[in-house]
Amino acid sequence: MSEATPAPAAPSILAERLAARFGGRIAGIVTRLGETTIEVAADDLVGIATALRDDPDFRFEQLVDLCGVDYLGYGEDEWRTSQETTGTGFSRGVEGQGPGRFKWDERPRDVAIPRRFAVVVHLLSISHNRRLRVRCFCPDDALPVVPSLTGVWPGANWFEREAFDLFGIVFEGHPDLRRILTDYGFVGHPFRKDFPLIGNVEVRYDPEQKRVVYQPVSIEPRVNVARVIREDARWAQARAEEADQWQEN
Amino acid sequence: MGVISRLDRVMHNPMPLEQVDDILRPAGDNPVIERGFVTTQLDALINWARTGSMWPVTFGLACCAVEMMHASAARLDLDRYGVIYRPSPRQSDVMIVAGTLVNKMAPALRKVYDQMPEPKWVISMGSCANGGGYYHYSYSVVRGCDRIVPVDVYVPGCPPTAEALIHGILQLQKKIRRTNTIAR
Repeated sequence: MSEATPAPAAPSILAERLAARFGGRIAGIVTRLGETTIEVAADDLVGIATALRDDPDFRFEQLVDLCGVDYLGYGEDEWRTSQETTGTGFSRGVEGQGPGRFKWDERPRDVAIPRRFAVVVHLLSISHNRRLRVRCFCPDDALPVVPSLTGVWPGANWFEREAFDLFGIVFEGHPDLRRILTDYGFVGHPFRKDFPLIGNVEVRYDPEQKRVVYQPVSIEPRVNVARVIREDARWAQARAEEADQWQEN
Repeated sequence: MGVISRLDRVMHNPMPLEQVDDILRPAGDNPVIERGFVTTQLDALINWARTGSMWPVTFGLACCAVEMMHASAARLDLDRYGVIYRPSPRQSDVMIVAGTLVNKMAPALRKVYDQMPEPKWVISMGSCANGGGYYHYSYSVVRGCDRIVPVDVYVPGCPPTAEALIHGILQLQKKIRRTNTIAR
């Protein structure tokens, strides 16, 4: 390496520059754990993305990742996750209430919460050795639509197909928006929190039709509860042997 | 070798050995009688041939495939058992389903199985192929590849070690030896 790698600028400097450059166009700038996140309105996503790529202050040449987020049930959990539980141990003897623990027919309807779907983009500036996270909430929760970033970074193509496949987020202006991962003829978007974990169909081979057929899913949803053993028999054995004083007997 | 050459000197066999099909010659100067012969059941011969050259179709689906590679690589060397991986189902006797079988792959797996010539066997390798395993409650995973193809041997583990897979192959050899093709 003949040329030294540019030292990464402090994230606060990046946040200040972003605020100075875009001002009110950015809904929020958060810097936590040394990482900067900006929130962008869907209408302005492509404009800001183009500026982030081309502006000499930013030069985010590379789109590292693009993914969808479903904020349904965000912050709720089936078991206690606070600090004191780790020290004392706890049992998760709970009924499964979390997302996904239901059958296809029992899936929650009308769960449109405000600002449910978001698209998160991770950007990398190789010139400045700097990273940035851009989050864009979908304005309509019933039909989440955001503009496509394929015109800015062509690498966004398959990421957007993935987000469409798993979350049902429609990317306006995408050249070829179809499913990329799930089965042919798949119904639903499996990473949505109101999609049942066990799905709606399963496959088996039908010897009469001599082909693989689909049928309604036959199993019950289930919560696997991790077992916590407080009284370990091994230590009881060790204590008993110690108390027995076998060497003297 | 030594016994036969000495016998030849004693018997003054005029014909050089190993040049024509000895078994086709008239009984008078047939060296097969001097060299000895073996009798066997046809079933035993067929099973010997089948167990000695079980060619699996390469069907690695997930991390189990890495253990399958270990089993066939230099240290454990499945070639010793005549197990040679084939890229085509048409040349294969065995299918080792190594890994998670998802719904999207199931028709392809069945098609590969249907393309294999009879007789054919299936080894289900690992928890996912045996019964869905870790992904039993998933929306996209087949809960056991025996829903798609008939399975002869289940190898448990997540993933099974390469030794476990070899043990499963030897179990399948035992199973094949028990079958009768001619005698019923």
